[in-house]
Amino acid sequence: MVYQPATIEETVAATPGPASWRGALTHLGSVVTRNRKALVGMILLAIFTLMAIFAPLIAPYDPNGANFLPSQAASPSHLLGTTSDGKDIFSQLVWGAQQSLLVAVLAGLFATVISVLIGVAAAYIGGTMDYTLGVFTDVFLVLPALPLMIVIASYFKGSGATVIIFVIVITSWSYGARQMRAQALTLRNREFLESARVRGERTPYIIVFELLPTMISLIMAIFLGAAVYAVLTAAALQFIGLGNPEEMSWGTMLYFAENNEALNVGTPLWAIAPGLCIALLGAAFALLNYAFDEMGNPALRARGRKRGRHVSHS
Amino acid sequence: MEARGLTKHFRVGGLFSRRYLHAVDDVDLTIYPREIVALVGESGSGKSTVARLLAKVYQPTRGEILYRGQPVTSLRGRQTRDYRTRVQMVFQDPYSSLNPVYPAAHGLLRALTLHRRLRGGKRRKEAEQVLGSVGLQPADEFLRKYPYELSGGQRQRYGFAQALACGPEVILADEPVSMLDVSIRIGILNLMDDLRRREGLSFLYITHDIASARYIADRIMVMYAGQVVETGPVEDVLAHPRHPYTQLLLSAVPDPLAPEIDESQIDLGEPPRVVDPGEGCRFRWRCPHRISECDSVSPRLRIVRPDHQIACHVDIPDWVQPHVQARGVDEPDPGVLPADATFSEP
Amino acid sequence: MDVTSPILEVKNLTVEYSAETNSVLAVDRVSLQLGRHEFLGLVGESGCGKSTLCFALAQLLSPPADVIDGEVVFNGRNLIHMRDTALRHIRWRELSVVMQSAMNALNPVLNIGAQMTDAMQAHERISKKMARARGGELLRMVGIDPIHLDSFPHQLSGGMRQRAMVAMALVFTPELIIMDEPTSALDVVAQRSLMAQIKALQREFGFAVIFVTHDMSLVGRFSDRLAIMYAGQIVEQAATRDLFRDPKHPYSRGLLQAFPSIYGPKQKLQGIPGRPPDLRFPPGGCRFHPRCPAVMDICRKEEPGEYAPGGDDLVRCFLYAREEVEHSKLHTVR
Repeated sequence: MVYQPATIEETVAATPGPASWRGALTHLGSVVTRNRKALVGMILLAIFTLMAIFAPLIAPYDPNGANFLPSQAASPSHLLGTTSDGKDIFSQLVWGAQQSLLVAVLAGLFATVISVLIGVAAAYIGGTMDYTLGVFTDVFLVLPALPLMIVIASYFKGSGATVIIFVIVITSWSYGARQMRAQALTLRNREFLESARVRGERTPYIIVFELLPTMISLIMAIFLGAAVYAVLTAAALQFIGLGNPEEMSWGTMLYFAENNEALNVGTPLWAIAPGLCIALLGAAFALLNYAFDEMGNPALRARGRKRGRHVSHS
Repeated sequence: MEARGLTKHFRVGGLFSRRYLHAVDDVDLTIYPREIVALVGESGSGKSTVARLLAKVYQPTRGEILYRGQPVTSLRGRQTRDYRTRVQMVFQDPYSSLNPVYPAAHGLLRALTLHRRLRGGKRRKEAEQVLGSVGLQPADEFLRKYPYELSGGQRQRYGFAQALACGPEVILADEPVSMLDVSIRIGILNLMDDLRRREGLSFLYITHDIASARYIADRIMVMYAGQVVETGPVEDVLAHPRHPYTQLLLSAVPDPLAPEIDESQIDLGEPPRVVDPGEGCRFRWRCPHRISECDSVSPRLRIVRPDHQIACHVDIPDWVQPHVQARGVDEPDPGVLPADATFSEP
Repeated sequence: MDVTSPILEVKNLTVEYSAETNSVLAVDRVSLQLGRHEFLGLVGESGCGKSTLCFALAQLLSPPADVIDGEVVFNGRNLIHMRDTALRHIRWRELSVVMQSAMNALNPVLNIGAQMTDAMQAHERISKKMARARGGELLRMVGIDPIHLDSFPHQLSGGMRQRAMVAMALVFTPELIIMDEPTSALDVVAQRSLMAQIKALQREFGFAVIFVTHDMSLVGRFSDRLAIMYAGQIVEQAATRDLFRDPKHPYSRGLLQAFPSIYGPKQKLQGIPGRPPDLRFPPGGCRFHPRCPAVMDICRKEEPGEYAPGGDDLVRCFLYAREEVEHSKLHTVR
């Protein structure tokens, strides 16, 4: 009934969308190579990943071995100096990448999975289910995240990454679920879903193979957003001493640096280096997120290239 | 295929609302083999809901659907799929009826897997054959294309291809041409006509465009506010419309051949009230022939000419264009316009 | 101001959508003339550039679209070189635009009355009370009960919203209104009544109209002249009556045969085979040649000019190239 001509603008702006799950990966590849933000984010992420994987090869010393003179300044043998109890800071930094990255990826992943499940279930099943899940999501959305995290984490004090991931997932999934629900709702009445139903597909097939692939950019954005949140939150919890001090991470490094007044005893790098790494890892995820946003929304791209209305005459 | 007393109400408002939108009320309909039935009405008349009820996308609130005499409302699982093999649907919006992340033939291939148990090379061969039969050639090329590479008309042909791949006897076509460009609409209508002739299919052709209904349909049903107000053989209904709503619709069709009418008294085309409408004729607020009975009694379909029924309390004489006659404007009989008034190839 | 001069004169207007790979000429050397009080129907299929042309006429294009050549002379002034402030002065007061989707053009959080008074007060010193009274008057003129001054856009039906849009366009009784498919989202009955209303208002106020549509039969009844657009170019221009009686360009002919009628004998129609071209890769020669039933060799190689086989009409088709010669001879003889 509504006649809707495709404007030329749309045709020009339309970049080939991702094609199914496999296609989405190649799409990812092309995004990364074409977009500078994505490239920087990807390089940062790659550096940290390599650092985490090859920590035993890169780190010159045992991160927990108090084998050196305490509180040394940076030198060729100790690139970032030593801690107040004589451990090599650079080795700690390299090993710390493992946990920080793991927490970011796992917490991001779990939060995304829960968001997708709850958001899509609410939107697709609808009715009472939508209402119930909506209330459930809202309750989590308004939970005061920071106090809750501190309460839970201090209850399980010292039990390490698992609890931190748990705490982060609990406090972060609800926002994504709202977004998923909203987008799934706009897609719910798209005719290709009805078309699949009339074709005789079962509901699980429709959700997994018809609905979710069309939302891949949102899912990606939720994951990256949750990962940024996880990096920063994990660091914060560990910094206030709620992590496991036995496990090496950038947050616990900050915690010890702070407790030993690193800035006052001539080893500022003890605090600066892990802080910088946290910031860079967070930035890496955030840059990828922006890049995806731009790819998905041509309007953001156009603004970068051309400004305002100007009339050229030929 | 047959439907009796088909009714669908949607709840409007929140979870505890008691207000109901009467999308479809008490619709009877029959589609015979090799027949094209046109279901005509404005947006909000419930015509698309009828198609979705017949396609089992929605469950009816009341009423019964029979397919070759068998009730289909209560079918479950495997039986539903068997029903879908026989009764297929084509959607209105070619821009949203194909999943953008898959090649356009995805639905067609899935349909072949689900309903014909075909795989691999056999499936591919069959798919090419179906694509060819809806005019998408070369078929191997169209197997690979993505929706964004296609025009609206081509996308709509994929919709027909998916439906055909199931091996149906009836296709419910929900406004298949309304979003297409004028120059390619006829192509899709001709395709439907072709499929009827070649494959013996039946169609329920849903549209708001009476002219296109006349072009391909045998019978026509006019819907207003969820109810059928007039039904009969298409030529008879168009030449002798008896329901005031049908007359209004006909007078509004943009057509350079249409008789000149007085523009000042035109119905504004406001949509009907369908939330808890209550008893009484639903067209009465817009009706120029309203009598007191219309306020209290819902009219039922009654026969006025052979096979031709209307739901109206008033006996309106043949083809009165109320505005025209009231003003005494010369009114050419639409049936006897000179033949050269249509546009023929020079 | 000269009353006999055309209100709008478009010369060689060309609009380009710049893109990284293939730039698109959405409007390609379009020339038009619109007389005062004239109702011009601009007909074309989706993607033919008709909406872009409208936007270009009202100087509402935004990047990546840009006018790269040509003139739009409105009331003797070229709008292309005009500054934004001057343009703002002309828009609404002398030239207004009615968009296809009223829902997008109206502000959803303001009621109709507030939007109308805002518009009036932005361009004119007028008291709120006066503005509101005038708003009510305008609504009545387009067939809406003035009670709806207090209604919000979502409370109105589609037809009423479009009427409200027309009322807003009439606030300053402009001399030209450009309407971009204002009726295409409406049902037939609402569509016909809105068309009739526009025509009646035009008779009353005497503004000129450019009415863009994809549906030739819709404007057939109301327009004085028709311009048929295909792939960014105007392929035929003629008086509506002449064009319906004797369409010259094969595309116009095809369009006229593309829709069935509820009158006259039933006959098999063919439509136009193929699809409109992708403007990123327009076909060489005449842009219609891949779909043309009367295609000749020359159509594939060269681009046709504009020929005037019957006086005022313009046709962009080689079929009339020869007649053009005879036609110009005729002129010299006369």
